[in-house]
Amino acid sequence: MVGPSQNGRDAPADDAARERTIIVAGRSSLRTREVLNALAGFRNVIWPTSLESTLAETGAVTAGCLVIADDLREEPIDDLLVEARELQRNLPIFVITDSDDVAEAVSAMRHGATAVIELPRSYSTLRDEVSRAMQ
Amino acid sequence: MKDLPSTVFVVDDDDAVRNSLKLLLKSAGIAAESAASAQEFLSTYDSSQPGCLVLDVRMPGMSGLEMQHELNVRGAIIPVIFISGHGDIPMAVEAMQHGAFDFLQKPFRDQDLLDRVQRALARDAENRTRLRLTDRIRERLSTLSPREREVLQLVTQGKANKMVAGDLGVSQRTVEIHRAHVMQKMEAGSLAELVRMMMTVAQ
Repeated sequence: MVGPSQNGRDAPADDAARERTIIVAGRSSLRTREVLNALAGFRNVIWPTSLESTLAETGAVTAGCLVIADDLREEPIDDLLVEARELQRNLPIFVITDSDDVAEAVSAMRHGATAVIELPRSYSTLRDEVSRAMQ
Repeated sequence: MKDLPSTVFVVDDDDAVRNSLKLLLKSAGIAAESAASAQEFLSTYDSSQPGCLVLDVRMPGMSGLEMQHELNVRGAIIPVIFISGHGDIPMAVEAMQHGAFDFLQKPFRDQDLLDRVQRALARDAENRTRLRLTDRIRERLSTLSPREREVLQLVTQGKANKMVAGDLGVSQRTVEIHRAHVMQKMEAGSLAELVRMMMTVAQ
């Protein structure tokens, strides 16, 4: 994280901008890599090693977004979303899936996802959503 | 004031779907009405009527999503359950982002729809109770004088009478009198209750 400025030159607005962070996490490493590829070019992308450490990170990050790459069909993501929402009320949470299961997507939305995005179908949607979250 | 009984409004252009859903809901003891188009529903809809909507996404003329948008513009709080024959994730996500209560793909099991309808009706009842409470508190707030409102604001920030007196440049005795009036007009039994009321209307 960005600490207090040592030389006092940084304006507070710069600090805030720098702290905007994209946290990428997932239960599927293949999907996670795909998301990281889609987000090539974005600054401040971090990808913690486990979902547990991701939730710890979302507590520390105050601006930006959380991108969870997942295969919804394997195991519902609902509990994880509820947990992430408790830690972070304001961070947008994007759930990335390659499943086209509408019921699972609706359930994820009900449990706190900001959007559910299908990859590889919607690369541009992901980039658009993340850009908006980083503004 | 007691609410009218809850009604489920089915909006779908398909006669067969409309009739079978109405039958299903009535067999479960739930009052149901229907409309064959978004325009037909909107022209007669009274937002004080509690209930929920079962809304087809694709209809000729105004679509279900457009009708949801129109309801949002009108500030309607009725929960919307979308039903869709050919739903995809982007469509479902859009509906949910705009506040849909649920999104169900056809064909669905009767029980699945009934469960969701029951949950939506419970949510609507909760929302209406909360809104009524908020309205009551706002009504009481509107009876306060400007000075009483200032005192209310300061005491609910946790300030003691002495500090309030200092802030407003009046005597402590005057603050006490204003404060008593505030408690009386707001029908609050304690400072904690007053703070809760202010949090309710702030939400």
